[in-house]
Parts: sequence; C-alpha cells; structure tokens
Amino acid sequence: MENILTLMIFLPLIGALLIGIIRNPQASKIISLVFSFVTFLLSLVLLANFDFNKEGFQFVKKINWINSLGISYHIGIDGMALLLIVMTTFLFFCAFVWSWRIEDRVALYHALFLMLETACVGVFSALDFFLFYIFWEGMLIPMYFIIGFWGHERKVYAANKFFIYTFFGSLFLLLGLATIIVYGVVSKGVFTFDYITHLKYIDYPRWVELLAFLLFGIGFAVKVPMWPFHTWLPDAHVEAPTAGSMILAGVLLKMGTFGFVRYSLGLFPEASEFYIPLIFLLSVIAVIYAAMMAIAQTHIKRLIAYSSISHMGIVTLGTFALTEEGINGAIYMMIAHGLSSAALFMGAGFIYDRIHSYEIKNLGGLARYVPVFAVLFMISGLASIGLPGLAGFVAEFLVLLGTYKNHPVWALIAGTGMILGAAYFLYMYKKVMLEEERISDAVREKWMKLKDVEIHHLIPFVMIIASAFLLGLYPYPFVKIIGHTSQLILGG
Amino acid sequence: MVFNINAVLPELILSAGILLIFFLDLIKERINLSILSLAGFIVCILSALSTFHVRYPASAFFNGFKVGSAELVAKMLIYLVTSLVFLALYDFYKRKGSEYGETVYIILTSALGLSFMLSSTNLAIIFVGLELSSISLYIAIALYRKEYFSKEGAYKYLVMGAISTSMFAIGTAFVYLAIGTMNITSPQGFNPIISLGVSFLIFALALKISSVPFHFWTPDAYAGAPTPVTAYIATVPKIGYYFLLAKLTLLLFPSFKEWYILIGVLAVITMFYGNITAYAQKSVKRLFAYSSIAHAGYFLTAFTSTDKFLMTSALFYVFVYSLATLGVFTILSILDKEEGWRNHFEEFKGLFYKRPFLAINLALFLFALIGIPPMAMFVGKLGIFIGLVSKEMWILGFLFAIASLISAGYYLKLIVYMFLEKGEGEVKSPVSVGEMLTINTCSLLTLVFGIYPKPLFDIILRSI
Repeated sequence: MENILTLMIFLPLIGALLIGIIRNPQASKIISLVFSFVTFLLSLVLLANFDFNKEGFQFVKKINWINSLGISYHIGIDGMALLLIVMTTFLFFCAFVWSWRIEDRVALYHALFLMLETACVGVFSALDFFLFYIFWEGMLIPMYFIIGFWGHERKVYAANKFFIYTFFGSLFLLLGLATIIVYGVVSKGVFTFDYITHLKYIDYPRWVELLAFLLFGIGFAVKVPMWPFHTWLPDAHVEAPTAGSMILAGVLLKMGTFGFVRYSLGLFPEASEFYIPLIFLLSVIAVIYAAMMAIAQTHIKRLIAYSSISHMGIVTLGTFALTEEGINGAIYMMIAHGLSSAALFMGAGFIYDRIHSYEIKNLGGLARYVPVFAVLFMISGLASIGLPGLAGFVAEFLVLLGTYKNHPVWALIAGTGMILGAAYFLYMYKKVMLEEERISDAVREKWMKLKDVEIHHLIPFVMIIASAFLLGLYPYPFVKIIGHTSQLILGG
Repeated sequence: MVFNINAVLPELILSAGILLIFFLDLIKERINLSILSLAGFIVCILSALSTFHVRYPASAFFNGFKVGSAELVAKMLIYLVTSLVFLALYDFYKRKGSEYGETVYIILTSALGLSFMLSSTNLAIIFVGLELSSISLYIAIALYRKEYFSKEGAYKYLVMGAISTSMFAIGTAFVYLAIGTMNITSPQGFNPIISLGVSFLIFALALKISSVPFHFWTPDAYAGAPTPVTAYIATVPKIGYYFLLAKLTLLLFPSFKEWYILIGVLAVITMFYGNITAYAQKSVKRLFAYSSIAHAGYFLTAFTSTDKFLMTSALFYVFVYSLATLGVFTILSILDKEEGWRNHFEEFKGLFYKRPFLAINLALFLFALIGIPPMAMFVGKLGIFIGLVSKEMWILGFLFAIASLISAGYYLKLIVYMFLEKGEGEVKSPVSVGEMLTINTCSLLTLVFGIYPKPLFDIILRSI
C-alpha cells in the first residue's frame, strides 16, 4: 500500500519516457490518456484507504538518499495533500481528454504534460525539503515550454516572465530552507531536510521564525500569486494553451497555497500570527483589486486570470484566519477553485477554438449557436462565483465564517469583494453569450454553422461540473478529510 | 623514501603517454589525429585508474611531492574530464584542416602540470606545476591554422598570465620572507608580510580562474581558441585551481586575518560583473566566457571560510559545472564545424527544429547552469547556500541568490532562440562518435549526480 504513492509520482514520468521512445502522435495521446487515468484511479484507491481518524501522515515511505546532507526520499500525505492529489490527477486526465484534437507537436506536448503531472503529485506528497524543492522547480521547465511552444502571439514574453518570476520566488524559498536547516544543525546538531523532524523536534526562536516565514512567504506568494507578485499570471494565462491554463490555474497555483498551509503555518506558528495583518492586507487587496481589474478586462482569459487572483486572495485570507473553519474553507477553496477555474478556461478555450478570438468585443449572442456550451459555461461560472449548491459556496462560506470569528472587519471587507466576483462573471457572460445585437449579420451567418461541444469537450466539462455539484451538495466527507489537516496544524 | 614510484604512478603514466604520443607524431609524416587523440584518451583513463593503486599518504622527491586523498580525488577528476575532452576533439580539427598532433600532447602536458601543482605543499613546486599547465594552454590556444583570433587570444592570455606568474612568484617570496620556508603546512601566526604574500597569491589565482578585475583575457581566449580547446580551458584547469585554492585556504590563507574579506569582495564583484556583462554579448561563445566568470564568483564565495562542508560543496559544484560546460562547448564545437559559423545568437534561432539532439542537450546544460533541480549544479548551489548561512554570511548568500537570478535571463535567452523562434537555413555539421559520447556522458552525469550526488559528495568530503 505504501508504494502506491511512489507509483503515482513516477507513473506519469514513465509515460513521458514511453512517449519519447515511441514518438507516434496517435500513440502518445493514448499513452497519456491511459497513464493519467490509471494515476487517477490510484489516487481514488488512496482516497478509499485513507484513515481519517488516524492522526499524522499516511502512506509514508522513507528511504535514505544523500546521507551526508541529511536528505531522504520521504513521502506521505495528509488530508489536504490527498484531496489535492486527487484533484491534480483528475484535472490532468481532463486536460488530456480535452487535448484529443491537438495537432501541433503532439508527442512533445503530451510528454511535457506527463512530466508536469509527476512534478505536481510530487510537490503534494514530498515530506523532505529537498525532494519538495526538486519537484517544485521541476514543474518550471515543462510549463515554460508548454507556454512557449503552444501559446499565442506573445508566448515567448509570457513564458520568460513566468520563468523569471517563479525562479525569483524559488530562490527565496531556497534561502528560507537553508535558514531553517542550518538552524537545525546549530541548535540540535541534526543535519536534516526532513519535514517531520523539523516539525516535531526543532523549535525555532522568534527571530528565525520571522525571517524564515518571510523567505518562505515570498517563494509561495509568487506562486499563489498574491498581490503585488501577481503580474506574471495574467500574461501566462493569456498566452498559454487551454490545457496549460487549466493546469496552471487548477494545480500550479495551489502549490503556493498548499505551501502556506503545510510549511508556513506548520513550521512557523508564531510568525504566522505575527504576520496576520500583513497577509490579510495583501489578501484583501488581492480580493478586491483583482476583482475590479477583472471587471475592466476585455479579454476573456485575462478576466478569468484576474478572477483566479481574487479567489486565491480568499484562500490566503482563510489560511491565516487560524481558525479551523478558516483553514477548512481555504483548503476547500483550493479544490473548488481548481475545478471551476479549469472549467472556465476550458470554456475560453472552446470559444477560441470556434471563433478564434478571446476579445469580448468580437463576441456576442453565442448562446443561440452553441446552446449546450452556453449551459456548461454558465454552470462553471456559477461554481466559480460561489452559488449555493456548488463547490465555491461552501468554501467561501467557511472562509468568511472562520475569518469573522477573530477578525470581523477583514471578513466584511473581503465579503464585498466576493460580490464583485458575481459582477465580473455575469457581465462577461452577458456580453459574450447573450447580447446578440452586438454582432453583424455577416458574422451571424457565419456562426450559424458553428459546431456545438464535441465529445472530447463534453467529457471533461461534465466530469468537472459533476464534481463541483458533489462538493457543493455533500461537503461533509470532504470537510472531514480536510479537517484531518487543519486539526494537525492547529493542534500541533 | 627519495623516489617512491608508487606515489607518482599517475604522473608517470601520463609522462610516458606524452612521450609516446610525441614520438608517434614525430616518426610519421601525417598521422591520423583521431588515433592520437584516442591514445590521449587511453592515457588519461589509465592514469585515472592508476590513482586507485596509489597508497596514500605518500611522498617522493624529498617531500617535495606529496599525495593525500584530496590530491588523488582531484587528479582522478582531472584525468576523467580530460579524457572526455579528447573524445570530442579530433573531428573538429579534421574538418577545420588544422590537424596538429601537438594539440594532443600539449593538452596532456597541461594536465600533467595540474597534477604536479596539486601534489605539493611547497610553493615553489606548485609554481612550477602551475606554469607548466599555463604555458601549455597558451600554446594549445594558438594551435589553430589560419585563424588570427586564436593568436590574439593566446597572446592576451600569455601577457595577462605573465602578470599572474609574477604575482605568484612575489607572493611566494613574501611568504618565504615571513615564515622562512616555502612549505605550507599549517596557518602561521599573524605577520604583516605574510598578509602581503597571501594577497598576492590570491590575486595570482584570481587571474587564473578569471575573477574580476583580472578577467580581461577570458572572453578573448575563449572565443579565439579552437572550440575543443576552449572546452578544455573552461573545465579541467578550473578543477585543479579550485582544489589548489581549497588546500591554500585550509593551510595558508588564515595567516592573513582578513583574507575572507578579500575573497568575498572578489567573489561578489565577479559574479555581478560576469552576469550583467553577459547580457551584452552577441556571440554565444563569449556568453559562456562571461558565464564562466560569473561562476568563478559563485565558487569563490565558498573559499571565504575554512569550513570543509562549504569547500566540498564548491568542489562538487566545480566538477559538475565542468561536466556541463564541457557539454556546452562540445555542442558549440560541433556547430562550429559548419562553414561560416560565427557563434552568433541569430544562428541559434530554431535550432531545435534543425538539430533536436543538440538543442535538447544544450537546453539541459543551460537549465543545469541556471541551477534547476534535478540537475547536479543545484546540489552544489544548495550546499554553498547552506554552508554560507551556517557560517552566518547572510549577505554573501543573499547576493549569491540575486546573482543566480540575474543569470537565468541570459541562459533563457538562448533557450528562447533555440526553441521558440523560427530560423532559416540548415545546420549540417555532422556529429562524430566521440562528440556524441562526450555529450551523452556529460548530460547523463549531470543528471545522475543531481539525483544521486551522495557518492561523489562523500568522496570529496572525506578526502579534504
């Protein structure tokens, strides 16, 4: 049983190597579908075997790796990591189904995505700082090429910006890691990269916590992204191909918030409390500023990108509320946002496939021509803005509840931001899908022949929407799994 | 014992090989260069293997020649990388019509000089070894038929190298004046004259490893030299110099109390100057010259303390850096075989579509040079970071991080040119078997030492 996690990490990589050996476009599509599906099934096996009454990490595997540096191959998951892994493998499978019709450099495309999947699953399951950092950086190269190869007009600029920003954050993260590891050596004489040893046996004095929190925080904040480190995200999203955007918004952003919960809260509880005002300020700015920026956008993907920043603000707000509801809500939001943003980017991608434009001014009244898509897009959007009955609502509610307990004013301000969320989506939907008068007769004629969603669009849409409903209507088991993590953090 | 054959076994094999190749080159009018370089390869491998049979610690020549574990490890690494250089060398010279048999034994002589330099604690003998290796390098750079720039590069290197020579000599003299012996065994008490001597020695070595402000020869020598020789001078001598630097740092430098400030300042200006100037380059070969200057700055940061862990990280880093750099220059030398190739950035446009094998490997080395895991350079960088922080040199660690970040930009620029831009024309230059082997070995080892650095790291750590 404990080898399943290892298998899940390396299965996609094996798939990538297989594609590299075979190099046949059709075969590579099938290989990646099969491998990602098997990985997804394995993640469900983990879910079924997870014992959420047992405290601590499960499916733990530890092998010595580099003794002189105190590094080991140490993996294991808690409730949060489990759900994120399930979501990751699920979204990758959806992304592969969605990419069924891709024609440009197919083998390379699938191989890069499979490598990315290895890195993502690895980040969520690593319990060793070194291993974590390797996976954390490991996603940089595939994503860089995914944006750079299959992006749109300004892809090179966006890819470079993505790389430089993320690398900037990673270096601070590295300095932070070095700080706490060295502190471990100096105070306890143990040279170890092991997360659990640091968590349980090494208490940092206040100044180390404050310093390391900042260094870690910059690393995570770039990835989340928190205001003011967010400017790479809209560019990266606008230029990335659809599946790239799905994974970027759905999975990669969660690495940052995951880092905050797992590492910042877990290792530096005192500093977390100390920095609450700063984090709240940045989060609330992100929630409101990004939502207002979203309203002002004329490019669908840029709009969704800003909405992601706004939602991530809610996650960091809930995380640092330091109440059980807050953290539960934050983790719930990671999952909910992962699903809904992926669906929204699929919607944007579909529109681009059919109309070849992301600009709102070129679109209008689409609902008449692609009715099925209109329904799917609407539900995805509603899930994103947190309509009751869908995943986003539970998350937002929990975050606001958790924040309100200790910090009512901040909760109030953030709540207004969520209203703006409804505004930008509905405004965009109205312009793109409804306002028929904005398009000329010639265009209308052309659009009469538009094809509605095809099967490879429908499957991921339906799967994601179904899970959004599941999370929205029956949150109990998920909150229970998440509670496994939040109790671990607040109790420890 | 006066003459201990076992202690000088690797050097003996190397010398015998040099003589053999010399005679082979002499007796036959036009001998095939590939046979000579194959002989060079075999000699290097044999010397590398012979290091396992040396019983250490041992000494010869009235204690003028001493071997310990660190020396043996350094020698083995030097011979191994040199052997890879020989594999990648012959085809370039053949296609360029510049088949000098001398090239092979000159390079071997340089390796011999490096190993003598490393196997002594006597500054005079270190000096002789250093010069033997340097003078061979000047010649190797100039051995390029009908190429003006190679002569210019060699001349510049020679003139600048002469400064280093005199600085080393005068540093030795001051040390002798202060402690009455040229043998360095343990740090001596504080003495103003020894401080002067140590400073001169540091400057002399700084020139050799192309640290700012002594770097002026580097871009010209790198760009002018025949590319396989650039591959050699950018890698093997570096390993030797840094092992020497490690030894001097442990045994001599602390006599000068503020030595770490001197090296720290050199390190910082070197890494920033190298990284920032690299952005202005239009020739890829010069770009890597500046990248190597920047790396000299990174490595130097580790010699600001006598901490063994820090030094091990730096030496590990130097070795894997030379693997990646060797790979890079081998790829550049393959491209250089193309008629009219100028190593200009523009020519790298769309290389991925023309030559995927070369482009992918070059990208791997570039990502390694940026310091991204799982490539081995990351382990070196991480080690230096941790070492610096544990010695409470926060500022140096921080500046190191900033400099690494700056460097990402120009490496990425090359990746962008190769992968994301469309280029015209074709690149036909063929890849020989030897070059293929070198590139694959380098990329494989870069990955392997990144994923499993333990054995190499432990060997270096235990040896010094």
